[in-house]
Formats: sequence, structure tokens, C-alpha cells
Amino acid sequence: MRRYETIYILRPTLSEDEINTIIKNTNTIICTGNGQIISLDKWGLRKLAYLIKKESQGFYIYCDFATDTANVAEMERKFRIDDAVMKYMTVKLADAITEEEIETARGEHEIAKAKAAEAAASDETSDDTNEETDSETVDADEND
Amino acid sequence: MRPQKKVFQRQKVCRFCSDPEQPKVDYKDVKALRNFVTERGKIIPRRIYGTCATHQRQLCEAIKRARQIALLPYSGTNQR
Repeated sequence: MRRYETIYILRPTLSEDEINTIIKNTNTIICTGNGQIISLDKWGLRKLAYLIKKESQGFYIYCDFATDTANVAEMERKFRIDDAVMKYMTVKLADAITEEEIETARGEHEIAKAKAAEAAASDETSDDTNEETDSETVDADEND
Repeated sequence: MRPQKKVFQRQKVCRFCSDPEQPKVDYKDVKALRNFVTERGKIIPRRIYGTCATHQRQLCEAIKRARQIALLPYSGTNQR
């Protein structure tokens, strides 16, 4: 088994149910054999950096999992057929993964999620100024 | 021959190597990656920031991945 992570972008026009069925279908493909989901994260609607299939927004889903190569091929085949999936990308994280490693990875994801939630709560107010992050290139050169 | 003007140059250190706090290069972390691309979306060469070869390579890879999944633009800023 190998460890992968996939990000797939769904059309923004889909309803909650449609999104959930797609996620469920992908997860069943991943879990065939002895594949396992490590983490699944809905990033939600995001603005795309460029148009994909004439859409300027997309529903991002991030999935971290351990499975066999055949399952990944099958999943990607389904993605290509499915009109709702605009784009996907799978990255291999590790050539082999054991049960223990899966468990620890799950734990790490939990911690990361908790931290992210905390951060989101604390800078709720600064969220609107997000657009300005472009111009502020913080470099270490400043202190000479 | 005129003596060459001495150009003051600071010792540039790779910010990933110098700061253990700095998280690993990750293509999903768009905010961090945006520091390493120009406004037009081009990757900034390492002679500017002095990132070491290893980290520049990782950055390069990360930016390209982020572009693939539409987190970063291939070019231009008219879209975000």
C-alpha cells in the first residue's frame, strides 16, 4: 500500500447532496481491498487562480489516504468521466505505509485540524483583509 | 582600470534552513508560497532571496503543483 493525497475540485453549482455522493463514491473506491482513508477535508468553495471549464470558483476536497495503485487509477478514471469533477491532482506521499503509521498520521491530522480551527477563530476579524496578503512580501532581508 | 565599486551585499541565508520554526515547503500553503512568486505569478529566482538549492527546488515543485490545482495562477493577477 502507498500513501497518497488527492485534491479534487467540484463544480460550484452542485448541491450538498451531490457533493456528498461524489465523496462517498470516491471513498468506496479508495477503500476497496484494504485501502484506508487517513483524512478527508472539505475546503469548501474557493476562488480559482484561473478559469477551469469556464468556472471561476470551485469546491475543493482534500483527501489523504493509503491504498493500492489500481484503486488510484480507477478513482482517476471515474474523475475523468464525471462531469462534476473539474480537476484533480494526486500526489504520492510515501511508497509504503504500515498500520501504525496510518494511526499516527490520523493523529497528526487531528492536531492540525484543531490548530487550524483555533487560528480561524482568532483571526476571524482579519479575514476580510485577506486580499492584501499579496503585497506584503515579508522578507528576512530587513534586519541587517 | 578603475577599482570596482564595492557593492554592499548582505549575507543571504536560506530562510528555511535558518528558521526551524518555518514549516516545511507545502504546495497547499498558498499564503507562504505567494511570498516566492512575483505579482505576475513567476517564481522568484533564488539569487534574490538566497534560498538554498534544496529548498528552492522544493519551492519550485510546490509552486508548480499549486498551479496545477488552481491555487496559484500560471500568469497574471487579474484572477485570484
